[in-house]
Amino acid sequence: MPSAAVLQMEIERSLAARFPAALSPAPQALRETASTGVAAVDTLLHGGLPAGAVSELIGAESSGRTSLALAFVASRTAEGRVCAWVDAGDAFDPESAAGNGVNLSQLLWVRCQGTPSSPSSRDVPQAERRRVQGLPLARLDQALRATDLLLHAGGFAAIVLDLANTAQEHGNRIPAATWWRFRQAAGSTHCSLVVLGRAAYAPSSAAIVLECAARQARTSGGTILSSLEYSVTLKRDRSDCISPRPFPARRPTASTWTAQPGWTQQTRRA
Amino acid sequence: MSRELYACVHAAELPAQALLRLRPELRAQPVVVLEGPAAQQTVCALNQRARRRGAAPGMARLDAESLPEMKLLRRSPQAETVARSILLECVSQFSPRIEDALPDALWGEAREADQATACAFVLDIQGTERLFGAPEQLAQRLRSCLSAAGFHVSIAVSANFHTARLAAAHRGGIRVIAAGQEAAMLAGLPLTALGRDAASDADLTEILAHWGIRNLGELAALPEAELVTRLGAKARAWSALAQGRATHLFRPIQPALRLEEFCAFETPVAQMDSLLFTAARMIDCLVQRAESRALALAAVTALMQLEDGSSHQRAIRPALPSLDRRFLLKLVQMEIGAHPPQAAVTSLLLQAEPGRSRQMQLGLFAPRMPEPSRLDVTLARLKLIVGEDRVGSPVLEDTHRADSFHMLSLMAERAGAGQRPQNISGQAPEAPERQFHRLCLRRMRPPRPVNVLLRAGRPAAFHDRKQSFKITAAYGPWNSSGCWWSAAAWQIGPEPHGSAAWSSAEWDVLATSPDGSPCVCLLNHDPQRNTWHLEAFYD
Repeated sequence: MPSAAVLQMEIERSLAARFPAALSPAPQALRETASTGVAAVDTLLHGGLPAGAVSELIGAESSGRTSLALAFVASRTAEGRVCAWVDAGDAFDPESAAGNGVNLSQLLWVRCQGTPSSPSSRDVPQAERRRVQGLPLARLDQALRATDLLLHAGGFAAIVLDLANTAQEHGNRIPAATWWRFRQAAGSTHCSLVVLGRAAYAPSSAAIVLECAARQARTSGGTILSSLEYSVTLKRDRSDCISPRPFPARRPTASTWTAQPGWTQQTRRA
Repeated sequence: MSRELYACVHAAELPAQALLRLRPELRAQPVVVLEGPAAQQTVCALNQRARRRGAAPGMARLDAESLPEMKLLRRSPQAETVARSILLECVSQFSPRIEDALPDALWGEAREADQATACAFVLDIQGTERLFGAPEQLAQRLRSCLSAAGFHVSIAVSANFHTARLAAAHRGGIRVIAAGQEAAMLAGLPLTALGRDAASDADLTEILAHWGIRNLGELAALPEAELVTRLGAKARAWSALAQGRATHLFRPIQPALRLEEFCAFETPVAQMDSLLFTAARMIDCLVQRAESRALALAAVTALMQLEDGSSHQRAIRPALPSLDRRFLLKLVQMEIGAHPPQAAVTSLLLQAEPGRSRQMQLGLFAPRMPEPSRLDVTLARLKLIVGEDRVGSPVLEDTHRADSFHMLSLMAERAGAGQRPQNISGQAPEAPERQFHRLCLRRMRPPRPVNVLLRAGRPAAFHDRKQSFKITAAYGPWNSSGCWWSAAAWQIGPEPHGSAAWSSAEWDVLATSPDGSPCVCLLNHDPQRNTWHLEAFYD
């Protein structure tokens, strides 16, 4: 048995009287999912992204992470639920969101800016404020604090933590304890926490890790960009571990889907 | 037909009571309130403990300071106005017909309104027995209610208006005067109790004193006809007052609901905790007053007078009217914490806007929503972290200009069940299956300036200050322009915000970054300035 497992057992045994199974996640017999709004991805995930868990959408730029997250938020707001978008890079485009069907009145957008705005920071010298302003780590700190607040406030069906513009080396510095706390809070408030990033930052706490990639750009007559095809690969699905199935079922681990510019939909409608 | 019945509530030493109401820690100390110019300040009001130590109205400041452990406060007319309105509001819970027993007109020239040191209201309590019980019980409840609001009052109940007024003003505690006992109750009062007429007519009072008449009982015993013959028509009214049979035309007032609390500090307060300590008590009082009228607080405005002479105002407006003291205090704390005053605070005025508490019918299958009060606190905290205007719901503007939007506060009521689309079973509708998905952009804010290499008029490569991108395919341009019709563009008028003329030529480009990864970008060319910007990435 690995030493970590032995250590965990010893700690749990010593705390058993006060905290039963202190370090073990609570077993979940039934996994509730929410549709991502993309049929191909829903099929891949057997229903959609899990509620009350952390999911990660990872990939490089133009890999379709944002489109997939927006489709998910659109489906949640269409059900009358309230969602939040914590934007560490201030890159969210409301027009794209509205075009994808997101009900903006039910979306809380938190735009991190990296400038400390708390009253205590008023005492910070101007030069120091200028130096800190816009630093990626300051933005990341704001995003994590905002996510923590929103998760504990409760009532949000989905929270998207957008770290897509955050450098990978900065994202890797997020402590595992933070992800653990997010996971616990998401579980207790029944909120789907979706993390957008260049790489998986919360591997042990994430229930789902989807790797996105751009596959192909299609043109119309060679002069107009008519669609982008994305691929989605299921890199991790922790629900398999708690599945009541005696043996893991064989199922596809990758899928593709397509997104088009707005004008193509208008043309079709016409 | 039931007989008339009046209850008079008299709050003596109003300047002192108004200041001590929000500072109960001072009630156990001898306190005097001073008025007048700095060099000639005199005592205008004091509490019982100060009176026991030898202080008296009219005493000079130096004399008052010489008394041991004496606390000296400065008179605050604003605090008295607020205290008076609160007193009126409290008594209005017991009767809708209230008359001001000490209006300005009664005192007239003898005493200016701002010099009045007492406050009295007479309630018409005829027919309230079924609601509040016997007059003794009503008086007890009235006193308890006012005591909870921080007032020490004397109350008198009588079938005669003036008897109730005089007894409340000159007898402490609670007095219920039975019918026919009015004259006996008033017998011991001095002639000065008759009020303005007696006080101003020095000749008459001197004549009465010469006759050996020193109190109302002796005046009432004089034969009325003889008295009128010698002293004139005024004596008839005095005699009726002394006998407790003076008539009065009741003139009820309409108290307007003003949810205000005011506190002037002895020394300027620079610490936030001290300010909030006082604000907590004021919010308590506001909530209590609103609750007594089945209302809630829809907004609270804090107006602070600062040491440097300026003022500082902050306001909170919860998503839903609330009576939760801790929640309101938390919002006030975060609002003032985010926008602290630039100098020490000398006085604090809290004004609340009343609102109706909203009742919401929750559905069994309705989706869970953020709790409004918690959401308000969360939003306030988020604003502290990222900034005031960077939290909310985006609202698109009616323009083709790129990245045009403004932020609105996420209102819980807008996202609440009342506005939620529901089917007949109360269940939220299923999300419609989307056949097509739109390409999404990730904006660069601000757009990143880039240098673009053109081949045959089309972008072939671009580089910003950090890295170069090789363009494999470029689609465009998509030309657009706007606001060229505005007055500012033709230099014939001022330029309103956001109405500057703009034009752009957008290119969708497939590019390869230096590390070989492909990306799809949106490049923007401004033909007027001949500049290129990396506007966004498709993602």
